[in-house]
Amino acid sequence: MKRIAQSAAAAAVALFIFGAGAADPEAGKAKAQVCAACHGPEGNSQNPTVPTLAGQPEQMIATQLYQFREGNRKDAQMSPMAANLSNAEMNDLAAYFASVKAAPPKHQTSAESAKLGPELAKKYNCTQCHGPTLHGQQHIPRLAGQQPDYLRAQLKGFKASTRADMDGNMTSAAQALSDKDIDVLADYLAGLGG
Amino acid sequence: MDRTLIAAAVMAAFAVSAAAQDKPAASPPPAWHQGKPPAMLESTLHPFAPHMTGRAAKELPIDKLKAPAGFKVEVWAEGIPEARSLAIGDKGTVFVSNRISKNVYAVIDRGGKREVKTILKGLNSPNGITFSKGTLYVAERDKITRYDGIESNLDNPQGKVVADNLDPDKQPGHFWKYLAMGPDGKLYFNNGSPQNVTMPTYIQAAILRVDPNTGVVENFAQGVRNSVGFAWDPKTKNLWFTEHGRDWLGDDMPSDELNVAPRAGMHFGFPYCHQGDTLDPEYGKHRSCKEFTPPALKLGGHVAPLGMKFYNGKQFPQEYQGNIFIARHGSWNRTVKQGYDVLRVVVEGTKVVKSEPFVTGFLVDEKGDPPMWGRPVDIAVMKDGAMLFSDDYNGILYRVTYNKGK
Repeated sequence: MKRIAQSAAAAAVALFIFGAGAADPEAGKAKAQVCAACHGPEGNSQNPTVPTLAGQPEQMIATQLYQFREGNRKDAQMSPMAANLSNAEMNDLAAYFASVKAAPPKHQTSAESAKLGPELAKKYNCTQCHGPTLHGQQHIPRLAGQQPDYLRAQLKGFKASTRADMDGNMTSAAQALSDKDIDVLADYLAGLGG
Repeated sequence: MDRTLIAAAVMAAFAVSAAAQDKPAASPPPAWHQGKPPAMLESTLHPFAPHMTGRAAKELPIDKLKAPAGFKVEVWAEGIPEARSLAIGDKGTVFVSNRISKNVYAVIDRGGKREVKTILKGLNSPNGITFSKGTLYVAERDKITRYDGIESNLDNPQGKVVADNLDPDKQPGHFWKYLAMGPDGKLYFNNGSPQNVTMPTYIQAAILRVDPNTGVVENFAQGVRNSVGFAWDPKTKNLWFTEHGRDWLGDDMPSDELNVAPRAGMHFGFPYCHQGDTLDPEYGKHRSCKEFTPPALKLGGHVAPLGMKFYNGKQFPQEYQGNIFIARHGSWNRTVKQGYDVLRVVVEGTKVVKSEPFVTGFLVDEKGDPPMWGRPVDIAVMKDGAMLFSDDYNGILYRVTYNKGK
């Protein structure tokens, strides 16, 4: 009996693996309804503490969902949301949010940050990985137009080595940032469109 | 400490450097970043990250994969995120490891359908796996564990530690291990350079071995910056291994290496001498390359050779018998990318006779970012003589078969 149960489970696993198709943005859109409560319509956040997902690189969304599910990254709201997602579901969600256009940012950057921000972004090597327009690539997030309080919280977390970091780059890069630098960068990046 | 391994390693490195200095302002670079000269500070070259959730074969250009006439390359199994090292059991179970993720998988062929089971979870960078006499051995960052009778216990594997405390310094880089059972009954594993280029301790930048019966660890080969692939020539019993050269000396310098170590106690140059003929700009002062064993073959700058196997199956043509096949993961520290293939190397004794790409097609845009859609990691020879290789970028295993008629 146990043997039968095992092979039934095995068949279910096999079916799951081989039933998995290519990442499907339409399927992701259906699953993303629940995300809108915090992340805003089509992943364009209206809340300064919650990140915008619209227009983020596909691999980055899947990677962060994975980090939450595996417990590497922890958040009272997000951890339970990611806990039961399969890899295929994560890929569908990633394909969907990557396919949505990021709305122009509502945040107004101060004149001081608009002047200092580009220098800091170069000085602290942000543009080396996040790209010259800070739109992100592969597993690296888009920063342009991201919510300012969220950016600030992540940079502080990296600096304190409490924010999960797959390859150590952000933990390293954030060490040299002063609190003032973090404020300027968050203010500058949040207002970047394009 | 249950965040990602690399982050933990970086944090550990920070703890050390923070204690060593009063001002916390200095930014300790990640291990891969270390050794970058001022002239390259603005370089945008960076390592690639695998798709941690895997990608489905049907969204990938599998038909781009090419092998010599008569050979066929096909997807054998998918849905194995971050598929790294391979080991094959006596009953044909294919074991697959992770490096960043924490699992070991078993893939079982059920009449053409492959079932993927996660058999071990929550391990500490379990990159190294090898199968011998019914036992699966798993090398994590800090220890090696044996799982006896594994193929009868896939649902409930019982582990016994063979050796531990293998990462006493919690080194920031190159801590993942390759593992293989030697003809002497000892388990061989690497412990890489802690960073891109720094002075290693006695158990770093080395190939080590442990007797699974006694747990005694020995240093087998030194001056090996990081080897993530080795195997023994069935004819000569010589150990051959791949080695990654240091970064940030340019597109073509130094070359990655294929080395041969016919005996214990040899030194292969790191960090003093690279590719057998080039002194390190910093560590090479006052040294000579003549002190060290040169590579048997230069594999190319930054190609990242990983797993390798001698072909001993019955399916491929006679001229492939005893050839080495090497999975080249592909370059990141190079403006024009190369590698991302399976390389064939013909050897005679301790000499390389020739080498040529065997499976190609992953590299699609040598100046792209990313330049490739898949990355080979390890090689295994199946019972029927087909070759299997893993791709951690997508979580796919590919099979290469030979058919005379075609």
